[in-house]
Amino acid sequence: MSKWYPKNGRVIFHLDMNSFYASVEAAYNPALKGKPLAIAGNPEERRGIIVTSSYEARKYGVRTTMPVWQARRLCPELIIIRPNFERYRHASKEMFKMMAEITPYVQPVSIDEGYMDISECQALGSPLEIAEALQSRIKSELDLPCSIGIAPNKFLAKMASDMKKPMGITVLRKRDLPEKLWPLPIEDMYGVGAKTAEKLRKLDICTIGDLVKTDTFQLKHTLGVNGERLQKRASGEDQSPVDPNAIYDFKSIGNSETLPEDTVDDSKITQLLRKLSRKVANRLERKEVVCQTIQLMIRYHNRKTITRSVTKAQYISEEADIFWVANDLFEQHWTGEPIRLLGVTAQGLVEKTAIAEQLDLFHYQDQVENEAIQGVIDQLTDKYGKNPFKSTKQKRDDIQPGTSFQKDFLDDFRNSNE
Amino acid sequence: MKFVIKRDLLIESIQHVMKAISSRVTIPILSGIKIEANQDGIKLTGSDADISIESFIPREEDGIVNIEEIEAGSIVVQAKYFPDIIRKLPLKTVEINTDDQFQVNIISGGAEFHLNGQDAAEYPQLPVLHTDNSFELKNDLLKEVIRQTVFAVSTVETRPILTGVNMNLDNGQIKFVATDSHRLASRELPLTTNHDLSFKNIVIPGRSLAELSKIIDDNEENITISVTENQILFQTKHLYFLSRLLDGNYPETSRLIPDQSKTTVLTKTKELLQAIDRASLLAKENRNNVVKLETRANHQLVISSNTPEVGQVIEEVTTEEITGDELKISFSAKYMMDALKIIQEEYVTIKFTGAMRPFIIQPNENDQILQLILPVRTY
Repeated sequence: MSKWYPKNGRVIFHLDMNSFYASVEAAYNPALKGKPLAIAGNPEERRGIIVTSSYEARKYGVRTTMPVWQARRLCPELIIIRPNFERYRHASKEMFKMMAEITPYVQPVSIDEGYMDISECQALGSPLEIAEALQSRIKSELDLPCSIGIAPNKFLAKMASDMKKPMGITVLRKRDLPEKLWPLPIEDMYGVGAKTAEKLRKLDICTIGDLVKTDTFQLKHTLGVNGERLQKRASGEDQSPVDPNAIYDFKSIGNSETLPEDTVDDSKITQLLRKLSRKVANRLERKEVVCQTIQLMIRYHNRKTITRSVTKAQYISEEADIFWVANDLFEQHWTGEPIRLLGVTAQGLVEKTAIAEQLDLFHYQDQVENEAIQGVIDQLTDKYGKNPFKSTKQKRDDIQPGTSFQKDFLDDFRNSNE
Repeated sequence: MKFVIKRDLLIESIQHVMKAISSRVTIPILSGIKIEANQDGIKLTGSDADISIESFIPREEDGIVNIEEIEAGSIVVQAKYFPDIIRKLPLKTVEINTDDQFQVNIISGGAEFHLNGQDAAEYPQLPVLHTDNSFELKNDLLKEVIRQTVFAVSTVETRPILTGVNMNLDNGQIKFVATDSHRLASRELPLTTNHDLSFKNIVIPGRSLAELSKIIDDNEENITISVTENQILFQTKHLYFLSRLLDGNYPETSRLIPDQSKTTVLTKTKELLQAIDRASLLAKENRNNVVKLETRANHQLVISSNTPEVGQVIEEVTTEEITGDELKISFSAKYMMDALKIIQEEYVTIKFTGAMRPFIIQPNENDQILQLILPVRTY
């Protein structure tokens, strides 16, 4: 059996659910199967964009992030539904559970993909057998398709899972690279975005193979350390471990939203800022973190985008405080031109349990409004060993998170592991 | 200008005026030291426009001759080079003379420096204070007051007025208050001279006081303090220290100090300080350096700190007495240590009014010192 496993190396899976939201919807309502289906935030409004679509819809040219109206024009019989995040969360949780039953080394990356390190799973069979078993279990129990990439490191596994969709299993060994990886256009490489690709093309690097052959010094000069890292990956080197906790090192929480139409109307802008602040505050609360820095993003009608941030001495987490800071930034930096999109992001996040708030001589009376209640809670906590109260939270199921929220599902994964 | 001076006296004087000289000045000539000589002695001046210091060396003092061969005159020398030159000269005396091209010649033994100087006429005139608002304090007492208050001033410029020490004089009582809004230190003392004087809202930059404290000697000689609307002058026999005052209204702090307490602890100052110091060894890792204090039966206090990544520490302190409600409170170990360090008395009284309210630290049976610390709220 062990001949399938390298002596001094790792075996990594990258599991990628195929058009996840659409597949979940089809599993939920089999009548949708085989039909062009798309999930969009707001099917009625112009700002609605396609979040994901089924393979049937993709045949018509429907693509993620395409505006709804454009998708409809390409495929008139397209079925568009609003996202049901609870369903996706549930499916995601089940899928990660199945992965975790194989190995504890599971690193979720987003709601629908993750890495596994199965280097020590000889007892369960060859890597290919494990992958086939996992794929068929997800298919039979959740009725969801997925693709799995098998490789000696995370980068190659990620590239491999992309090679055959849907329901693919691809093994990418180092000796396969010249044939399978290097002919691919540079844009297809994981980690190469539009901007990086543009820079690489200027260096006459059009394929992943070109990248491998390029002079390291020149790459470093153009792209900094990232250039060197990309080259190493392209040549099959990626030492990064499968870290089950990596996902929890979130650095910021942000929300943005496009206005129904470009506007200079103060009341509409304020309203949106308030809404975004509320969303950010809710997500901070959900994660039980507070922040010190608020960043505001303004995108103007001409797509010119600016971000401005401010760091406060105090920790903030309340909607009113976030709004106050964001609004302040807005007033300082708005040029008065029509605005298309606004974003509010909380940065410098700290877990609530890890911080202590220094009270201020001139404001402590406001800071300790709930002192009496807190005192009673403390007493009862002492008496019963744990806090008998639970802070009531607004029921969140009715809050539909936007596309930027997809990592919040991980709190479910984390809680289910505890 | 010419004189021959004892080198150690010159070095000391230079060190004094250097306290006022900053490398970043808007007026270039202020990066230099002004030297003036006349038959009484020589005078050095340094200034950064906020603080100006004059140090005088008399020609003769108590029958001992300090300076010889004086020819009157003045010059401005570069503060970047002059102090080091004087410090490293070989002999106990140094001769300094200038020519009409503003060149400064420094001669000691075989060493001879020729330094480019500047015309002293270009150096700004220090304002002459006209005020009757003067009173006297002993040198050592002023140093003590500074030590007991200036550590609590704010070091950030978010509220500039809090970077200063507030001085009020009323009914023959002078009161100094400093706060960075997280803790407060105050010191009161009766005035022995000029009882009719009264002023308020005088805010002296913390930095000025810290520099002043380094310069004045620890003795019982008098220092004269004169106050005008925007400047304060500290004057001893050979020193003239002028500082700008801070603009703006110092916040009213007296009403923020609780006048009743729910829990009172009387304990040995040093023991508590050492326990907090030990607990903070682990707390340094967390952001606010927080330690927790809990009252227990039998006059016991428990000081603890827990930093999950590092470990935890628990220490019991037997106090003289604990009266009132049970209490559990968290606060910055640094603030507490700062407060306890300036208390010389053997015993200290701490008055708490709840876990979310400021608490008061005072030496036992000494009302002149009052310190306040705001706790931290933990989640």
